[in-house]
Amino acid sequence: MRRVLALAVVLVLAALMMAGVNQLPPPGQADQPVHRHVAADYVAGGAQAGGAGNLVTSVLLHYRALDTYGEVVVIFAALLGVLLVRSTGGPPTRPPSRLVPVSPVVDQVVRLMTPFIALFALFMIVEGHVLPGGGFQGGVVLGALMILLSLILGPERLRGLLPIGAVTWVRAAAPLVFLLCALAGLGLAGWWFALPDPGWLREFVLVALELAIGFGAAAALTGFFLSLAVDGHH
Amino acid sequence: MSPNDVFDLLILTLLIGCALAIARLKDLAAAVVLFSIYSFALCLLWVHRGAPDVAMTEAAVGAGITAVLFFYALTRTGRREK
Amino acid sequence: MDITSGLAHIDYIAMVILFAVGLYIVLTRQNLLKKILGLNIMETSVFGLIVTSGMVDGGSPPLLGRGLEAPYASPVTHALVLTGIVVALSVTALALVLIVRVKRECGSIELDELLEPEE
Repeated sequence: MRRVLALAVVLVLAALMMAGVNQLPPPGQADQPVHRHVAADYVAGGAQAGGAGNLVTSVLLHYRALDTYGEVVVIFAALLGVLLVRSTGGPPTRPPSRLVPVSPVVDQVVRLMTPFIALFALFMIVEGHVLPGGGFQGGVVLGALMILLSLILGPERLRGLLPIGAVTWVRAAAPLVFLLCALAGLGLAGWWFALPDPGWLREFVLVALELAIGFGAAAALTGFFLSLAVDGHH
Repeated sequence: MSPNDVFDLLILTLLIGCALAIARLKDLAAAVVLFSIYSFALCLLWVHRGAPDVAMTEAAVGAGITAVLFFYALTRTGRREK
Repeated sequence: MDITSGLAHIDYIAMVILFAVGLYIVLTRQNLLKKILGLNIMETSVFGLIVTSGMVDGGSPPLLGRGLEAPYASPVTHALVLTGIVVALSVTALALVLIVRVKRECGSIELDELLEPEE
């Protein structure tokens, strides 16, 4: 009964949405509203105003900087929530069912690939303003690498990589550096999130922002993973 | 129909097939693996749509990290759906 | 109606179907993990809709100064979706940790069992 009701709701909703999307202009034509309003301006002036050849980075860090700041805060808040859920009281935990030991092939391949993946992630973060890539993109690759490493080394070894105090700062790096840059923009150019004027300084700020976002995102992802993988309280 | 359209149709069929299979499967581990495949197909679609930045993020997040997080949650909550 | 105009909205329609499948999973499945998977499918379908609306046939990725030629795909939609993916991941991670906690406290993650009054 419930299933039939749910199916009916879903079908009615889907029919309505189908009718809606059929009224949209067909995708793929360059003269649509999507490409005419702000997007045209961004394509025309984005490289100049944002200091970035990669227009996505330019939109993220210049035109829509406030949104990106909000996103960074959301990740940080989610990390806080995850850590909070894990660390507040509750009954003693049952150890997770025994995991199969990692095969030596996987182990060796991960060890072999680690420097290359790390280099690639760093390259994506640092060159994100001219090539595809950027803070988040590189950050998630770096986070995936950390998760891979903790799969073969064990979460405890991974935890020993950074002292506990430093971990806290890296996790909070993205919101803090972003706020600092916003304040610098307010002081130097007169409005929030403004990028400073000389080209080299602008590039410096962009790279600093992307490094902070990248490492912050990687630390947050590793935090999510460790919270799920390691049980109990530390 | 150009080869581009055929590629698009193939990917979209794969996406819908994966989603339906996820809805039907009772084995959650298999569903998570299918979600990984789904994310990777989406990643291909986005390269094709001219969005390399989004594709890279989706490949790392959707196909990699989300699946790992789900697997670890599965080890604690049980693999079968009732 | 010739075949090309019939196919013009096929990308949008496929995304609507994906959204419907995701919503069906969220509404009918009792397992909380399965609900989160359904939520992820709904999210990705919306991302797909947005990115598709920003594409240009035969266009290039929005990278200037790399020898790519106009028309470019709209960078706004890409930035929007990028933000969305990372937020979706945060939501998923938080939900998973909460589900593990529910399992630990209540012994089950099936919604109908959780809602049953204890006898």
